Amino acid sequence: MGFRELINIAWQGILSNKLRSSLTVLGIVIGIASVITLMGIGEGAKKEAEKQVQSLGVNLIYVRPGAASTASISQGQGTAPTLTYEDAKAIKDTCPSVDEVAAQYQSSFQVQHGEYNTSTTVLGTEPAYPEVRNFHPARGRFFTADDMKDATRVCAIGDTVREDLFPDESAIGKQILIRGELFQVIGVMEKKGANQMTDMDDQIFIPITTGYSTLFGLNTVTGQAVKMVLARAKDGQDLQAQFQITNLLRLRHGIKSPDQDDFQIRTQMDIMQTAQSITGVFSLLLGATAGISLVVGGIGIMNIMLVSVTERTREIGIRKAIGAKFGDILWQFVLEAIILSVTGGLLGIALGMLGSDWIGRFANWTCIVTPYSVILAFAVSFGIGLFFGIYPARKAALLDPIVALRTE
Amino acid sequence: MPNNVVELHDISRVYEMGEEPLYALKQLTLSIEDGDYVAIMGTSGSGKSTLMNLIGCLDRPTEGRYLLNHKDVFHLSDDELAAIRNTTIGFVFQQFNLLSSMTAIENVMLPLVYAGVDKEQRTIRAQFALQQVGLEQRMYHRPTQLSGGQQQRVSIARAIVNKPRILLADEPTGALDSHTAEEIMALFDDLVEQGITVILVTHDGEVANRASRIVRMRDGQITSDSRIRSKNEK
Ligand SMILES: Nc1ncnc2c1ncn2[C@@H]1O[C@H](COP(=O)(O)OP(=O)(O)OP(=O)(O)O)[C@@H](O)[C@H]1O
Ligand SMILES: [Mg+2]
Repeated sequence: MGFRELINIAWQGILSNKLRSSLTVLGIVIGIASVITLMGIGEGAKKEAEKQVQSLGVNLIYVRPGAASTASISQGQGTAPTLTYEDAKAIKDTCPSVDEVAAQYQSSFQVQHGEYNTSTTVLGTEPAYPEVRNFHPARGRFFTADDMKDATRVCAIGDTVREDLFPDESAIGKQILIRGELFQVIGVMEKKGANQMTDMDDQIFIPITTGYSTLFGLNTVTGQAVKMVLARAKDGQDLQAQFQITNLLRLRHGIKSPDQDDFQIRTQMDIMQTAQSITGVFSLLLGATAGISLVVGGIGIMNIMLVSVTERTREIGIRKAIGAKFGDILWQFVLEAIILSVTGGLLGIALGMLGSDWIGRFANWTCIVTPYSVILAFAVSFGIGLFFGIYPARKAALLDPIVALRTE
Repeated sequence: MPNNVVELHDISRVYEMGEEPLYALKQLTLSIEDGDYVAIMGTSGSGKSTLMNLIGCLDRPTEGRYLLNHKDVFHLSDDELAAIRNTTIGFVFQQFNLLSSMTAIENVMLPLVYAGVDKEQRTIRAQFALQQVGLEQRMYHRPTQLSGGQQQRVSIARAIVNKPRILLADEPTGALDSHTAEEIMALFDDLVEQGITVILVTHDGEVANRASRIVRMRDGQITSDSRIRSKNEK
């Protein structure tokens, strides 16, 4: 018996009970569509996280004072800040894989302009900061190397600060008071929004040198302390840069071999990986939910198939009585299952893509349908059709013709 | 030397029900000649259907030997038995047993589908079989759109479409009125004339009297076996 003949028989079987067939297809459609949509949401979350991390600036290396591990209490480093402005300068001057450096020291202060005042973070940093952070002035300018050298009293303010202090006039060129010290506003930063706990817009940027001489003062132990050094590695040299910085700082801080670093280094890569592992868990959860719905759907299909075999026992008996062989019956039911699941699979993929598109459009969430999820969903639907189709089909094909005929 | 298409030797069919085994057929021996027309009669529960199912290879005997066309069917696999049901034997059931989702002609074509006959040949042969039973006007009706007699004729067309050696009919007129039954019986007469061996089960003495030989059964055994006319006599 030819394959086309078998397909024909299977197709007739499907058409002979349209309600049952459509219910089966519906089960698969829902399973597949939810897998694709949920995986799309997970993938979207991953991409979103990557984008946010990337927007912090590329190839960034964060150097902070303090031991990397909290377990190393025995290190006896005391509480004194261990990272200095000198360290930052040394990194810039001696690490070949480092391309830009911006040291930063920040503290909270009361600021005032005329009748308006607010409390905000004042961040002392270097001219490379906008470049490294990918965070530029929208109007005016950022301070320059000359401002650094002369420790001029200039500042660039974030958009939130501008709103607080200059609700109805231009800020550029005006004087503000930071803890009673006069500073001239030379720039207003672009709006950036919050990122990693800090509201980027609620900050005032001053030359770090000016900061030491006016607001921050000097640390009794280390002098010009910094809270973080932002270093940007040359393209593709993240690892080398990290290595060079580590070596340099260990040397400068006199740390010998078994001792632990008194600073910590994190790269953009680390942060990205953390973000990815978080969204990875999220994706996994969504995937598992979707997977369960697929399995439940599959069991539903098997149920319908089993019922269908029982319902059609007499038909099977008749077919066998007039000469259908074991394989003929088996193939009829297996092919019915495959046709239904492939149809359901294709419809499910279409619905899943449509659903992802809607979520992307109306829920304002990036929902990315990957070829991988489509292939997976399709393979699973095909597998379910085969797997959950074969058992009932075999049961049908093994029926004794006389027993099958006698059933009502 | 008669040519026996069916030879049953000491056939038993036992159903294991509860403690006592139930003998639906008990050491039954029966031979049927090629081209003969045999009626099987007997009280309800005497084993007629059981016997027909065995001859039709729908069931296997518990004991005994069954030679179909001189070949022992004991060793045949399920698929080989299916092939025999498909080509050597035509079965007409009391309940017609048509597939309700298919038209008359599709039902008649079904054995040919399983025989691997191509579509064009199938159509020609199914049309011919339906003509033989006088249903050429009803080919595209579904069973539910046909009368009982018409449905039985469709099932006869299905039984003969593959040109079987043997036609088995278990109470083919049981569900029909006497006039319709008469039409069906006339059909069987035709088939016998064409050389097909016909074996039918009936409760109706008039129906039985059209056959050449009447076998009576009781409690799974043959009680009488009489030839009422010679094989080829009309
Ligand atoms: N599947 C079965 N399981 C158990 N016993 C069975 C089975 N089929 C038939 N029998 C028993 O075998 C005996 C013969 O049954 P069979 O159907 O052959 O009788 P019959 O002569 O065709 O009767 P009827 O004229 O009523 O159709 C009966 O006693 C019946 O109860
Ligand atoms: Mg019976």
